[in-house]
Amino acid sequence: MSSPNTEPTAPPAGDQPAADALVEQELLVEDVSIDGMCGVY
Amino acid sequence: MDEIDLATAWRLNPQVSLRPESFGALAYHFGTRRLSFLKSPALLAVVERLADHPDAAAACRAAGVGEDELALYRRALATLAGSGMIVPREGTAA
Amino acid sequence: MTAVTIAPTAPAGRLIDRFEEGLDAPICLTWELTYACNLACVHCLSSSGRRDPDELTTAECKAVIDELERMQVFYVNIGGGEPTVRKDFWELVDYATAHKVGVKFSTNGSRIDAERAAWLAASDYVDVQISLDGATAEVNDRVRGDGSYDTAITAMERLRVAGMRDFKLSVVVTRENAGQLDDFKAIADRYGAQLRITRLRPSGRGADVWDELHPTAAQQRDLYDWLLARGDDVLTGDSFFHLSAYGEPLPGLNLCGAGRVVCLIDPVGDVYACPFAIHDSFLAGNVRSPGGFAGVWRESELFAELRGPQSGGACSKCSHFDSCRGGCMAAKFFTGLPLDGPDPECVLGHGEAALEGRDPAAIPRSEVDHSRRQPSRPTGTALPMAPVAPPARSCDESPLAGFTPGD
Repeated sequence: MSSPNTEPTAPPAGDQPAADALVEQELLVEDVSIDGMCGVY
Repeated sequence: MDEIDLATAWRLNPQVSLRPESFGALAYHFGTRRLSFLKSPALLAVVERLADHPDAAAACRAAGVGEDELALYRRALATLAGSGMIVPREGTAA
Repeated sequence: MTAVTIAPTAPAGRLIDRFEEGLDAPICLTWELTYACNLACVHCLSSSGRRDPDELTTAECKAVIDELERMQVFYVNIGGGEPTVRKDFWELVDYATAHKVGVKFSTNGSRIDAERAAWLAASDYVDVQISLDGATAEVNDRVRGDGSYDTAITAMERLRVAGMRDFKLSVVVTRENAGQLDDFKAIADRYGAQLRITRLRPSGRGADVWDELHPTAAQQRDLYDWLLARGDDVLTGDSFFHLSAYGEPLPGLNLCGAGRVVCLIDPVGDVYACPFAIHDSFLAGNVRSPGGFAGVWRESELFAELRGPQSGGACSKCSHFDSCRGGCMAAKFFTGLPLDGPDPECVLGHGEAALEGRDPAAIPRSEVDHSRRQPSRPTGTALPMAPVAPPARSCDESPLAGFTPGD
């Protein structure tokens, strides 16, 4: 059931800008559950 | 699925709704209810060209994908194939 | 969330930023079809009960669906009130799926008979979400009313027998059911359903019971651990992204989608940022206006504001801000907290401190209230509603006490 490309583990808080600059993964496709956005019943 | 054969013919699954976006596209599979984000306009261009080209490699070239990027797009297409977003065209080897 | 590609053709930046800027069309949305309901749940986020005489007609609903098709909105979550009490409900479901709009509808189960269950099991592109707020009748019926547990379980059994797999069992987590998570999972498994648990917001009638029903800090922590262990097995509607500040983010976009990737269409065609924010402050427009729903989504001032840079205020200096994004707008608004401050359930406890400092008289209330306890009033009046008296909740009292169950 899980997508082979689930979200990477979030880096520790505070490292986010550095993580953006790094090439962590080369993923052009991300899967999210259709139920994965807040603001729906 | 980590790889697909770029020498085979593919097309968008008819059960998939592909919606262009500024960052690339959203793809929703009505059968599996899965939602995929295509994170590059070039990848959208590749997917849109799959049905009209003899194989995935040709679709990539037609979308402007360079030789050095092919591996990246092969992986992306593999992900889409793994979730059923794209399917092999009839009459061709999978 | 921060996967970055080196392909020169790919845009820079994170996906989450693209979504916070809003999209040209929602990905999905909530559509409350009616304010009528045969139940009177104490925490009802839409304060439902009585039908609004100005409900969208069948033709108007179909026009909305036509728009959603043109915009390529992928699916709608239809709710209410109890959507199945509308006589045209099944016709509208068919119309949506015939027009490439997927449907999931939320129901208390009261109209899912064996024939309907079979119809649903055979329908492509229709999903069902059964509401339940206690793993036992004792816990559930205190919130949803006498007999509501049995109604939901009966509906689930009918769906199971009809061969419908992976329909949803949807639970709002409260102080009273937070210890029943494993039991809820067992119920879902028993009927071949997928468990979905969501956050209680102080919205609608939820405002009256939030203080006593929202989970404690300890329960929140346990809930986060439980969800993390379950991964994709349990859905959440991304409603617990404020808990991501505990550590690893939960599955989902982990951001407030209101007005950006989702919104609400209410029974009279009003468009709100989200179903937990039915209040003038979050009203974007109405589908009956000349531009229709598309016009509201693309041009409303409210949505333009929400899609602009948001001030995190004091929260933006917190090292966890990037995880929790400052929490839920509706939770802050309806507890009287400023939107550029902590969520009332901030995992660091900043929300609790903020709640102590607020003026109770300044807590907003929505004028949109179709509760049956409400004294009747002419439609369209701008008079503020008398606050709904919270039910005196001794263990024995049914929330349905005092009136006849309808329909």
